[in-house]
Amino acid sequence: MQKKRIVSMFMAGLMTLSLFGCGSASQPAADTGSAPEPAKQEATTEAKAEEKTETVAETTSEEPISLNMWCIATESDSNRHSYEAAIADMQANHPEINFTWEAFENQSYKTKIKAAVSANEMPDIFFTWSCAFLGDFVEAGKVYCLDDAYQNYKSELPEVMLGNSTYDGKHYGVPLTMNIVGLFANMELLKEVGYEEIPGTYDEFIACCDALKAKGIIPFGCAGKETWCVTEYLESVIEKSAGADTLNDIFLGKSTWNNQDVADAVDTFQSLVTNGYFDPSGIGLTNDEVKNNFMAGKYAFYMNGTWNCADFAANAEFFPKVKVGEFPVINADKSKLGQLIGGPSDTLAVAASSPNAERAADYAFELGKLICHYGYLDGCGLPAWTPYGDTSSVNELTQTVAGIVAGADSMVLFGDTAMSADSANTYLSYVDQVYGCLLDGSQFIEGLSKDIQ
Amino acid sequence: MEKEKNVERERRKKELKKAFAIFIFLLPGLLLFISILIAPIAVSVYRSLYDWNGFSEGTFIGFNNYIELFTNGSIKFMTSLKNSLILAFFSVFVQLPFALLLALLLGRGARRERTFLSIFFMPVLISTVVIGQLWLKIYNPDYGLLNRFLDAINMGNLKHVWVGDVKTALGSIIVPTVWQYIGYHMLLMYAGVKGVSIDLREAAMLDGATKWQVDRYVVIPIIKPIIRVSVIFAVTGSLKTYDLVRILTEGGPFQSTEVPSTLLENMLFLRNRYGMGSTISVMLIILCFAFALLITAAFKEKDD
Amino acid sequence: MESYTLKEEKPYLKVITNIFLIIWALINIFPIYFMFTFSLKSNDEIFGSNIIGLPKNWLWSNFATAMNTGNMGLYFFNSLLVTTLAIGISMMAAMMACYAITRIRWKFSGLANAFFMLGLTIPIQASIVPVYVVLSKLHWLNKYSTLIVPYSAFTLSMAILICSGFMAEIPTALDEAARIDGCGLFGTFFKIILPLMKPAVSTVGVYSYLQCWNEFMFANVFISDSAHRTLPVGIKALSGQHTTEWGPIGAALVIATFPTLIFYIFLSGKIQASFIAGAVKG
Repeated sequence: MQKKRIVSMFMAGLMTLSLFGCGSASQPAADTGSAPEPAKQEATTEAKAEEKTETVAETTSEEPISLNMWCIATESDSNRHSYEAAIADMQANHPEINFTWEAFENQSYKTKIKAAVSANEMPDIFFTWSCAFLGDFVEAGKVYCLDDAYQNYKSELPEVMLGNSTYDGKHYGVPLTMNIVGLFANMELLKEVGYEEIPGTYDEFIACCDALKAKGIIPFGCAGKETWCVTEYLESVIEKSAGADTLNDIFLGKSTWNNQDVADAVDTFQSLVTNGYFDPSGIGLTNDEVKNNFMAGKYAFYMNGTWNCADFAANAEFFPKVKVGEFPVINADKSKLGQLIGGPSDTLAVAASSPNAERAADYAFELGKLICHYGYLDGCGLPAWTPYGDTSSVNELTQTVAGIVAGADSMVLFGDTAMSADSANTYLSYVDQVYGCLLDGSQFIEGLSKDIQ
Repeated sequence: MEKEKNVERERRKKELKKAFAIFIFLLPGLLLFISILIAPIAVSVYRSLYDWNGFSEGTFIGFNNYIELFTNGSIKFMTSLKNSLILAFFSVFVQLPFALLLALLLGRGARRERTFLSIFFMPVLISTVVIGQLWLKIYNPDYGLLNRFLDAINMGNLKHVWVGDVKTALGSIIVPTVWQYIGYHMLLMYAGVKGVSIDLREAAMLDGATKWQVDRYVVIPIIKPIIRVSVIFAVTGSLKTYDLVRILTEGGPFQSTEVPSTLLENMLFLRNRYGMGSTISVMLIILCFAFALLITAAFKEKDD
Repeated sequence: MESYTLKEEKPYLKVITNIFLIIWALINIFPIYFMFTFSLKSNDEIFGSNIIGLPKNWLWSNFATAMNTGNMGLYFFNSLLVTTLAIGISMMAAMMACYAITRIRWKFSGLANAFFMLGLTIPIQASIVPVYVVLSKLHWLNKYSTLIVPYSAFTLSMAILICSGFMAEIPTALDEAARIDGCGLFGTFFKIILPLMKPAVSTVGVYSYLQCWNEFMFANVFISDSAHRTLPVGIKALSGQHTTEWGPIGAALVIATFPTLIFYIFLSGKIQASFIAGAVKG
């Protein structure tokens, strides 16, 4: 029952959450007061589960077509299983649609999909990241608008979840799972310095780091070779110092980087580096290596996406030791708990060039819902769609994350996803230099406000 | 008169036949070459004059991309160029002499010549991913072989985060690159060395030359065209180097080990700046070609 | 083999040379050992607990994973087919072009040669989108030939370069003799020159092979159905977005590399024999 409560809480949270979008979608105000009763919410979930089976039965008598999809759920991707299960369901429900799909490796997929868009050779349905990545394709008129198809799924997919794939008020993407940045802690190491829980305030947190350092335990592991890993730390520090609105406006280009609060936050982050809280050898490591070090007990904390929950849960030896929490508030005047980094980024989109775009759109929605459902059960992330069915098998880490999100106040999407491709890379190169202590906070804001227009 | 005309006609006919033969012989190569390589270059040159993201409408901006390439410090084109030239230097002056030495030693008919030859060529056959992973394990700051070795011989103060330190990162790329392709050049040169006829060697030996003298005065001059080819490969290969940089440093730390190809890929596929990417590739082609001509000219001069 | 050696080297020099060769050989064999052991380990061992030792548990299941879920058998066949045909085409085109350039006298032969050498300088990334756009307009994607044609074009310059070295060593007297016997240019090429180019075949083959076998960019972009995928793309597809199991990747790499290595070892004797046969006295 405890677990079910978390799920309902999670959904209640979603309804009221202020989720910043990169398009110009209308954003519901952050207002936690109007959350519906958890019990009510629970009832609707079950009702929806029944509804689902009905809608499936309706649409079977259309003429046969073929649809093709590209995605990045490769053999060893943690999302593989949810894709396979969802597609198996879809094929059973839609025998008239000959559905084929191919999975490609993440980095090479970016090359591939961009080339395909240039040549108008996209598959009917394709995986994409929301915000800027999809935005470029939308701007070029290559993506099919999903507004009509969305009407059928309105009740199961909160509109706030479409914010990141909405451009000029039109919806272009079907969100799948979503993730936030989590503060993972190795409780076994924290116990050694007398902490039973992840410290809740920033002062306590720093005291804990000092204690760890004194004991010869490295507080943080962070892969300097993959700059996105550094941003997981830096963005949290900025958000918890300068506030979610400030950071979001900067990411979306509504205000410039020239902001003293950001400069101070960057200095705070850098002081964590110069105080020796970070593993000095991390600068030459990849995320795979750092993650393995964390699981081997080399670091006390590891800040990274909550997609890691599934992997941590799968490691029987490590799972009992790990807990996940939220980064503490640094400046309580500007920020508060519940301001998170993350949001729905994994998205399915439909090609405008597809001869069966209309049916592909419906298919994408149904498929997205199923992928989201199975992905949540597997612990690959939180569902962007309203969860249904029995979710008690979800691992405890993911459930904790669901609890955090349920109590969330606002979410700011990862900077490198939110910004346009060119700006994002400029931003990453500045972050890199901050981590390497080549720049301080004021140089960081100065440089970025000059180089990003 | 009549006879002369006939001769003239004969000659013309022959010329025509020859031209036709040349055309036929070149045709398959030219077809492949122009359609797959030259036409895209033309497109690249055209695109380099545009500000274009790869899928929407571009804007014509003249030579602004070229100007930005050299003036915008955040693009790091000059750094990347410097890095590849350093790599080219080590390839030509460390890798090639070493490869030549191996080729000459084996070419003399050392014992188990074939076994050695096969083994020395193996790193070339192994995927760069494996080579890259192997060297990452060697460089790993915590458990890597290099740092452990330094500890073992009490030189712990020399320990580094090899691929993460600006001072050592470029060196960490140069060592494996130079090492992996020694076998490549060795095989090319070995083929040349084996092409030197035994009679010629014997004749020189009979005149009292030592093996080294035979190599120096007989073999090397003969295989000079092959050495020239190796130098061209080493230099253009260094300018185009890509794989190991991606695996070992990702162009980092702080973009200090970027090479033109990694920049090119970033521009094309990460930053969506297709126009700028084309500009880099045009620059790269011009540079490679200029170096190839320069090297050919240098070898010619030496011959004279 | 050493029949021509008249002056024996000093014995200590010989020992030093041998030691040097053996050490260098060990350095070069190490990656193979590394690759093999790494293919039998778990992530835990690969990233820290046991980097270069023998695996604690021999995880042969990594190979099963690579073969079954990773489909390496099919990808291996695809790579083999594409590479072999690309080498064949580029070699034939190169020999013909080479003949026209080096053995027929005409005004622009130098220029033609320089033109082909341009190919050595072109970074493969640069041409990918333009070629892709053309191929897609011609509905020529997702076939074996989609890769074979670009690969043969990319290996062409190198092949011409190597061939011209070999062809230059064939004495022109042979051509002249053939002419006197009444052979035309075509006859001379096919009957006299081609058979003499055998030693070049193995060298060109090895170098073209290196360019095609590991090629990733074109294979990734041009082929979208897994039925025509080649090894490098297949191996990449074994890694995930957020986590990667390195063991099966190691296994896939072994599958991709070992057959070549074994083939090369068997063939190397022949390759060398052909080098020696190619030595033209004079």
